[in-house]
Amino acid sequence: MESGQFDTISVRTSDNVTLGYNIAGLGSRLVAQILDNLLAIPLTLIAVLLYGAIASVFVTSAEGATFADAGAGFFAGFAYFGYFFVAEAVTGGKTPGKSAMGLRVIRVDGSAADFGALAVRNVIRVIDVVVVLIGIVVMFFQPQTRRLGDLGAGTIVVRDRATVTLASAVAPPPVMLRTPDAGPPIDGLDHIGSFEHDALRVFLSRPGLSQKLRADLAADIARRLLDRLGLPPGAPERLWPPELLIERVYLQLDQRHR
Amino acid sequence: MTLDVFIAERQGRWAALEAAIKTAKRGRLRNQSASDIERFGLLLRQTSSDLAIARRDHPDAPITEYLNTLCARAHPLLYRGRAWRLGAIGPFFATALPRSFRAAGPYIVASLALLLIGFIAGWVAVDVRPDLRASLVPPSLFDEMARGQIGTGVQDAPFAAAFIIQNNIRVALICFAGGMLLGIPTAFVLLSNGWMLGTVAAAVRLGGYDVQFWSLIVPHGVLELSVIVISGGTGLMLGDAILRPRHLRRADALARVAVRAVLLVLGAASLLIIAGTLEAFVSPSGLPDGVKLAVGAAVGVLLYSWLLLAGRGPRRRRMFRFDRPAETPA
Repeated sequence: MESGQFDTISVRTSDNVTLGYNIAGLGSRLVAQILDNLLAIPLTLIAVLLYGAIASVFVTSAEGATFADAGAGFFAGFAYFGYFFVAEAVTGGKTPGKSAMGLRVIRVDGSAADFGALAVRNVIRVIDVVVVLIGIVVMFFQPQTRRLGDLGAGTIVVRDRATVTLASAVAPPPVMLRTPDAGPPIDGLDHIGSFEHDALRVFLSRPGLSQKLRADLAADIARRLLDRLGLPPGAPERLWPPELLIERVYLQLDQRHR
Repeated sequence: MTLDVFIAERQGRWAALEAAIKTAKRGRLRNQSASDIERFGLLLRQTSSDLAIARRDHPDAPITEYLNTLCARAHPLLYRGRAWRLGAIGPFFATALPRSFRAAGPYIVASLALLLIGFIAGWVAVDVRPDLRASLVPPSLFDEMARGQIGTGVQDAPFAAAFIIQNNIRVALICFAGGMLLGIPTAFVLLSNGWMLGTVAAAVRLGGYDVQFWSLIVPHGVLELSVIVISGGTGLMLGDAILRPRHLRRADALARVAVRAVLLVLGAASLLIIAGTLEAFVSPSGLPDGVKLAVGAAVGVLLYSWLLLAGRGPRRRRMFRFDRPAETPA
């Protein structure tokens, strides 16, 4: 939809405007996961060492040591999976890994992922990870790259980072090489509108075109413009150089639409 | 309006919205004043109307993608479910959890049936082939019972409790999450737990240690098995939503039950803390068998009068997101 390089989901807001969310791909999801593991695994180790330290102080019997060891194993699991849940719950859907990759968990209706949804996707994370990494397989085949936990929770991971800044979205000002003014009124401007205006503006503000290329492009654009303007065969505009025609049409449209 | 004029006239509010997004902490606007949030809503509505205009008049211009991304980033900051606060925990246990339990009734009955099938199968297996007893039940159990060692207390009971609680919470969560695999792991957990209990129960009956055994199981077992059955029920709920989505798409049917189910399983799993404490401190203790059985009975009466009776009567307030009918995504 908006940007061709990503898949998007469309969300219709209460203002009846459709928003497109760029869906995070398998690659960035996996990189985020690896980054999170770089944090989660040391944190898990620290938690288990603490558990062991406490156990070694308080355990008094062989039976107790068996329980403490087995308990430490479970504790490791809770600490590891707990990392993801707590990180997402505290930040509103961004573990540090996701944050670094510019990703965020939201619900498929575009609203923020709430506590319940995050609980579902993180409990099911155990299945996604432990059962032969079924999560990756499901993400690979699922059109929106959702794992089982996302499907259960009704969540989706999207790109949260601004891809276009306001400054970069504003094209540089158009450059008039041929004419300082709009020239005599052109007939048939009613036949064209903002689409042509935008297209001409893009052409006129394009930097770094060689003269020959610019002339070739201008000839092509002028031919199409003349078609759309529907001018009679003997109209004087047909004799204008292409770049002059383009500049004058642009300036006249600009006045008209201002 | 030309693109240049459009941008020049309106970029002020876009920049303001962008700045407002940056002030959000942890993906929410909670730290902001009411007037700031109102202004945020106004900016978002204005910007999304600009987005609609840009889509119509300048579909290919970069500004259209800019506006889309801006609105998409702002939207979840404003549109979100009811916030979860510590104060919601009380009403959750007082009303929402028992209601979810009753709403999940058929699944919990099915889950109980699976556990009972396992139990009966285990019992019958030992009854029919007593010679297999040794391979089904750890023989050490009988030695300990014969020597009267069971029921004399566990050493380092806090660590035993921690181990038991964590193990049971793990089992409960697996029961729930197994629903994603059509409930097959869930059914397996229920059947195998029933089977274990059935074989051991039949074996101790043969050995004549009935009272000793049940006084060892009942104090914590009432709670523990109830939680396993409830968790099993939530897993079966998920599996059923996938298998029989009815008029919804499978993903929507699943998401609709999953949030209700996870709250039920998390609430139930919190009971395991009580169960594990009983299992480490009361069940193996030297208390008379009658006292132990009475503890189990009392826990059972309390548990089921709460689950079956609490939160009836008119709803005063919608406390939780799942009290509303689930929205279907566009």
